[in-house]
Amino acid sequence: MADRTAVMGRLEDVVSTPEEFDRVVSQSLPILLERTRNSMRRYLRDIGQWSEDTAHEKFVLRWSAEYLEQFVLAGRSDVPCRPLFLLDAFVAKLHSRPEPFCYHPELLTPLGRFLDGLVARAVVSRDALIALYYHCYGMAPRDVIAVTGLSESESQRIYKNFRRWRESGWQRTMEMSGMTDMELEELVDQQECHRQQFNHEAEHIIRFAQDHYRKSEPDYYPCLSRREWEVMFSEAYGHDYRLWHLALCMNCVETTWELGRKRISTIEKPRLEIRIRP
Amino acid sequence: MEQDNDLADSSARILGRLNRNESRSACGPSDAIQVFINERRVGCLGGNDADASFQFQRQGCVDQIQLRSEDGAVLGSLSAPECGFRAVRIPLSRGTVELRIHNTAEGGSASALFTPSQRRWAGLLRSIVESARAMISPQPSPAAVRGIRAVIVTQALLAVVVLGTAADRIAAWITPERSGYSDTHAEAPPAVPQADVAKLEQQVGDLARMQAKTWEMVQSQRQDMAQLQLAVAKASSPQNHGGVVMPAARQKMGERQDVAAQDTGHRSPVSMGSAQMEQERLEAEIHNLTTVNARLSKEMAGLVEQNHDLEKKLKAAGSETAKVAVARQESGLAARRSERERHVSMTPHADARDNAHPFLFWVNFSEGATQESIDRWMHDMHGHRVAVNGGWQEVEVLQPSMPADRFLEKVRGAKIVKAVRVDR
Repeated sequence: MADRTAVMGRLEDVVSTPEEFDRVVSQSLPILLERTRNSMRRYLRDIGQWSEDTAHEKFVLRWSAEYLEQFVLAGRSDVPCRPLFLLDAFVAKLHSRPEPFCYHPELLTPLGRFLDGLVARAVVSRDALIALYYHCYGMAPRDVIAVTGLSESESQRIYKNFRRWRESGWQRTMEMSGMTDMELEELVDQQECHRQQFNHEAEHIIRFAQDHYRKSEPDYYPCLSRREWEVMFSEAYGHDYRLWHLALCMNCVETTWELGRKRISTIEKPRLEIRIRP
Repeated sequence: MEQDNDLADSSARILGRLNRNESRSACGPSDAIQVFINERRVGCLGGNDADASFQFQRQGCVDQIQLRSEDGAVLGSLSAPECGFRAVRIPLSRGTVELRIHNTAEGGSASALFTPSQRRWAGLLRSIVESARAMISPQPSPAAVRGIRAVIVTQALLAVVVLGTAADRIAAWITPERSGYSDTHAEAPPAVPQADVAKLEQQVGDLARMQAKTWEMVQSQRQDMAQLQLAVAKASSPQNHGGVVMPAARQKMGERQDVAAQDTGHRSPVSMGSAQMEQERLEAEIHNLTTVNARLSKEMAGLVEQNHDLEKKLKAAGSETAKVAVARQESGLAARRSERERHVSMTPHADARDNAHPFLFWVNFSEGATQESIDRWMHDMHGHRVAVNGGWQEVEVLQPSMPADRFLEKVRGAKIVKAVRVDR
């Protein structure tokens, strides 16, 4: 108890250098995580989205970890400061935005958390983004390259992305989403027993999540018309555009597949068929 | 109970991950670094050890700039105040990234500059210096001397080519042709198709990145040449001295060779062996240097070619855009002219303001603004909606009753308006 009070005291004191900030913060991570969780619970309660259950607690824990990770890195450039109050300000600033995170009751189920975790990670990780083509449509690297019409030089990166995702990315994302091995096994069982219903539910959730996270793209990456996609592919530009947008938009994937049917005759029309494991 | 344990486990795992505070990226040194501004991915800093820079401007303030590896691990971050300047240097395993944010009342700008670590160049220089030292050894290998000379000449030629290319690029940038394009672009109304603009923006971005890469490569080549010259100068002074002494030494050695030939010979194989090994080592280094040089020349040639292609594409896209704009302006003018003629015939004392051009601007309405209030505002402004794009609405006002800047201030002052901008 006395120890906790001492740590709180240090967090309330002024730190003057980035090194001092790192030291103080790294010594009090449990306290800071708890404080962030409390702020989030209060926020959800205030906007009428809180409920006393484990699903909500997991949701809060996941986002609190995300916030705290950002705070640890960004806070160093705000010295001199009082870390405890800087954290409060940091979280308040994030919560002042219209949609600080993706919230929907269906996203609190294990399937929702799994899909939300994948799509949310795709916004910040290219490995996860490329892996979405696999987890959603079962595409292998060569299929991704064909569907997105990438050049030779870009193709190698896709293989690397797949490799890293299998080696460590998927595991880390599952940990961050709070998915346990048991939950993952249950998802696999559900999919085997009720494949159609499972994929139907997944499609509903993934469309919702994609709509939310696609906003994180730059403003110049909106959905394009069939004609515009055709021009982009035929004139071989916008590789980044294709990769980022198509991974996060089911409708546009179908459009571009139809456009390149001759080129990619070996690949079946993309249909949502969730893969749980990488 | 089980769920509580589950939560506690998750919490402990998260704390462990945060506590390690290690660079958790599984990416290699050649992988690109993603740049996020205000949590939006806006671009990449180049991989492949190439220098790279990135610049970004927006109307609002830049709160945060973040670097992430391709697997999503945060490599560094900088947050900034609403008004003011802040910079930070983030050391990475493969180099350093300098982040800067500058926020003013007009908007924010951010930049990221990646400087690769000097290890590669240092290694190259060290091997050259070692080779130069070897040249002044008692028995210099003629092959080594020829090789090093070839390397120096190749470096010098490469530097000349690079400087020539840079001069050509700079001249191309300041020619009136380009300023002509800028003017055309500035006059063009912002009603060009979205895909064309995205394409054009990407081409401009590619060109700018290529430009920055070329320029940075020129700089590093210059530095490299300067250091190389220094090393060669250092090496050449003892070598000159050696050149004077060498004939006498050779004569003496010739005399001794006869004696040595009669000797048991157990010493000479050892010294000959070490000399041969030294020579082989030198040859291997020279081969390495030549390979690096060839690769650099190839990369340079590729860059120059890409630059030319991009420039051509940019010009073509610019002229297409200008054509579209001119065609639209002409059709608009023709329509207005006929309209005016019709008005004049109907009302002989038509208002002189009929000559005014329509004023186009983009507006972003506040979250709570209802469609009804927006329509009312449009009506009050005598404007109408032209296009909608990502939350922004393009508004055309045919006869602004005041100068443009005052008009925009008035628009900004409206309660339901969140932001206004004139460009796209």
